[in-house]
Amino acid sequence: MSTTTPTFSRPGVKPVWCPGCGDYGVLSALKKSLKELKIAPEELMIISGIGCSGRFSHYMDSYALHGTHGRALPTATGAKAVRPELTVLAVGGDGDGLSIGGGHISHAARRNADITYLLLDNHIYGLTKGQTSPTTPQGYQGITSPYGVAEEEMEPLPVLLTYGVSFIARGHSFDLPQLTDLITRAIRHPGFSMVYVHSPCVTHPSLSWEALKERTKPLPEGFPTDDVMTAMPYAYSRDPLYTGVFYQIRKPTLQERLREVEKRACKDTGGEPLDSSVRQIMQRFR
Amino acid sequence: MAKQVQKKQATVDYTVRIAGEGGDGVISCGELLAQAAARTEFHVFTFITYPSEMRGGYSMIQIRLRDMTIYSMGSLVDCLVVFNQEAFDNSKSILAPGGILLYDPAEVDIGDKSGNFHLEPIPLTMIAKETLGSTLGKNIVALGAVSHILGMDITLIEELLAERFSHKGPEVRERNLKVLHAGIMAAQNIRINLDFRLEDLKPAKADYMLISGNQAVALGAIAAGCRFTAGYPITPSTSIFETLTKLLPLVGGRAIQMEDEIAAISAIIGASFAGEKVITPTSGPGLQLMTEQLSLASMIETPLVVVDVQRAGPSTGLPTKTEQSDLKFAVYGSAGDSPRIVIAPTGVEDAFYQTIRAFNLAERYQMPVLMLLDQSIGYRKATVKMPDFDQIRVLDRGESKKSLKIPHAGKIDIRWRTEPTEEELADYRRYADTEEGTAPMARPGTPGGQYLATGLEHNEYGYTDQSPGNHKKMSLKRFRKMGAISRELEKNPIEFYGDPDAKIGIIGWGSTEGAIREARYMAEQKGIAVRHLHPHTISPLPTKQISLFLLRLENLIIVEENMTGQFAHYLQARFRMKPISIRKCEGTPLTPAEIYKGIVKVARLSDEYNNTYF
Repeated sequence: MSTTTPTFSRPGVKPVWCPGCGDYGVLSALKKSLKELKIAPEELMIISGIGCSGRFSHYMDSYALHGTHGRALPTATGAKAVRPELTVLAVGGDGDGLSIGGGHISHAARRNADITYLLLDNHIYGLTKGQTSPTTPQGYQGITSPYGVAEEEMEPLPVLLTYGVSFIARGHSFDLPQLTDLITRAIRHPGFSMVYVHSPCVTHPSLSWEALKERTKPLPEGFPTDDVMTAMPYAYSRDPLYTGVFYQIRKPTLQERLREVEKRACKDTGGEPLDSSVRQIMQRFR
Repeated sequence: MAKQVQKKQATVDYTVRIAGEGGDGVISCGELLAQAAARTEFHVFTFITYPSEMRGGYSMIQIRLRDMTIYSMGSLVDCLVVFNQEAFDNSKSILAPGGILLYDPAEVDIGDKSGNFHLEPIPLTMIAKETLGSTLGKNIVALGAVSHILGMDITLIEELLAERFSHKGPEVRERNLKVLHAGIMAAQNIRINLDFRLEDLKPAKADYMLISGNQAVALGAIAAGCRFTAGYPITPSTSIFETLTKLLPLVGGRAIQMEDEIAAISAIIGASFAGEKVITPTSGPGLQLMTEQLSLASMIETPLVVVDVQRAGPSTGLPTKTEQSDLKFAVYGSAGDSPRIVIAPTGVEDAFYQTIRAFNLAERYQMPVLMLLDQSIGYRKATVKMPDFDQIRVLDRGESKKSLKIPHAGKIDIRWRTEPTEEELADYRRYADTEEGTAPMARPGTPGGQYLATGLEHNEYGYTDQSPGNHKKMSLKRFRKMGAISRELEKNPIEFYGDPDAKIGIIGWGSTEGAIREARYMAEQKGIAVRHLHPHTISPLPTKQISLFLLRLENLIIVEENMTGQFAHYLQARFRMKPISIRKCEGTPLTPAEIYKGIVKVARLSDEYNNTYF
């Protein structure tokens, strides 16, 4: 732990994001949250995917891995599995997380590794100049849909509830105090936590961000966060578009379950692993 | 004419093959036999053909017993046990003259009775039915009969049977013993003269294991200090993963089954970045899925060990059959030029040591190491001597430039990645352009070591830099490692056998080593001198060794188990030579006889050519 308050900034690295990009807001919210949690940069691992939001890892002073498209979750799972004492974050966008990477979310939820996933949805593929994403509204005329998007857009939050993700929150990059709070709670949560963030793309907007802002409303005061069925209609609702914590439960983390596995495996040695491993292991194969 | 070389001959060399239908218990029966034999001083070598489906299909196990080291499964069988017609039809050509054919007359029509065999009909199905009331258990009848023929200590078989089925309760145990003895009774009248009785042999020394190639890989990983795997099941690599899931928790390790191969390799990249040694086992189709992440690992320079237990392809192919057809994909499979190390073990014991070596190479050179393990090695069991545990040693930081010796039973050096010093951390450059091409790798948690590992082209600090000068510099840096590895390789003993003056040379890779060796012995018996090179490292190639081998060679034979001659093609691209390519693409290993035939042909043509020219 360093004695001075870390800034988490990487000097000399200028973000590629356009002025007005929502990701700046998320970046500052995350930095604030980490400072509040007193996490040191060397204890932080950020795993990101491809896209504007994937560049997050470049701008944070941390052990950062900017990998391939859609694989941040399994990569983060592996990192956390071997270094449970470190804080592991996965960051990606709507394409990275819901298109190519969509299949991994369910399994991350099943495993419940103690990682936090920030999914920054700008409803478009921004970095590559405006192709449609799974959350681009139908009818939008973009660069790969010159006559309008043919497919229906997906509704991510109900999916996350169904998958059993143990902490689900939605925020916006234009409400930084709320977002900072959500991120802090997500990192604190033991288990797989997701913060889904609406983060406007100003260069390739596929919808009216003003209109979206108008529709936004926090979940009601005292909203029960331990019941999937109560949360469902709020998760589906587009108007109002609810923000806050939809669901949060405590269930065993991957680390806890793997420790149980270890205890069961080592029942002949009092639940603890062998010391002089190699010799004893090989003698079983005589 | 080559000089006659006196070779110590084995006094006992006996092969048993048991064949039947999937579901008959053929393989479990054979494995019990192998286990019993392994408890004596004999060396044991097995070869197994699993059917792809749960029931039905041809299933076979072959066990070779020898009082000297066994290099291959040989070419002929001395005792053939067949449960059904298909097994007989598939195997009859492999029975040696004077061999024993043990068959179930109710299921097998042996047709033309000519042929120099001892025919021993034993009604396996009928005996099982009479003794137990069901046809299940005919494999134990066969086990009893063969044990009797080999003069095995019956109490040992009973013990092994009890161990194998102990979880099924005492009643099952009783039934097994009953039907075992029925089999022994049925074989009472068989009088065969064998030079040995297994019962009379000395017990094996305490330091031998009977393991499969796949198990050897798992044990090698643990010996190397690997404590994490993330995997996805795929035939025929699954038993590596299964063994690791069983053993890793015992040594404080963790094993996770992921949702697919892409997730598996992603997880191990994350874990390697986080500071730990990692492995993932797969086969051809899985390796194809992992390609993108292999390129990433090359680019961000994370140590990785990936095992491809090669099966017959393409596509789903023949999942339980062996082939050597992933070579080009392993070496070149990448978008962009991404360096990776490819090594190929030659046998079960070698698989253990090459796995440890794979980890050492990965840690030192910070790149993916692909181990191509032929399915025939992965599946078969062989007796392997345990290493000298007191000679397993972790190298310290001061020895990081020391040349990496190939591990063997007498000495195993274990290498870990080099971490940066305090001085280096003051201005930490993760991707510094060094002489060897690698720079220290900070372990997350270390203050001041924070860095960015990105798949984008980057500068020495790790930040993205797509300028032309930088791309050239960093590409050269990454490939400079291959040169360093190549120079290292040359420091190890040459992997060359036979007469150094022979004019006929054979180059092979992977599992064919034993068969080529035996073929060479056969050729030498006939006065044909042959030399044989068998590199363990496929990428980078030991170029000096190969150049030396090719000197003054008149005929080069390249032996491999694939259709297009991938290895021949690969070597031709690097060396000026025109090889004679012996290829087998049938899902079964090359036999010594097949290779010997090729050598004889080449020798004859070579003699003719030399004679007619003058």
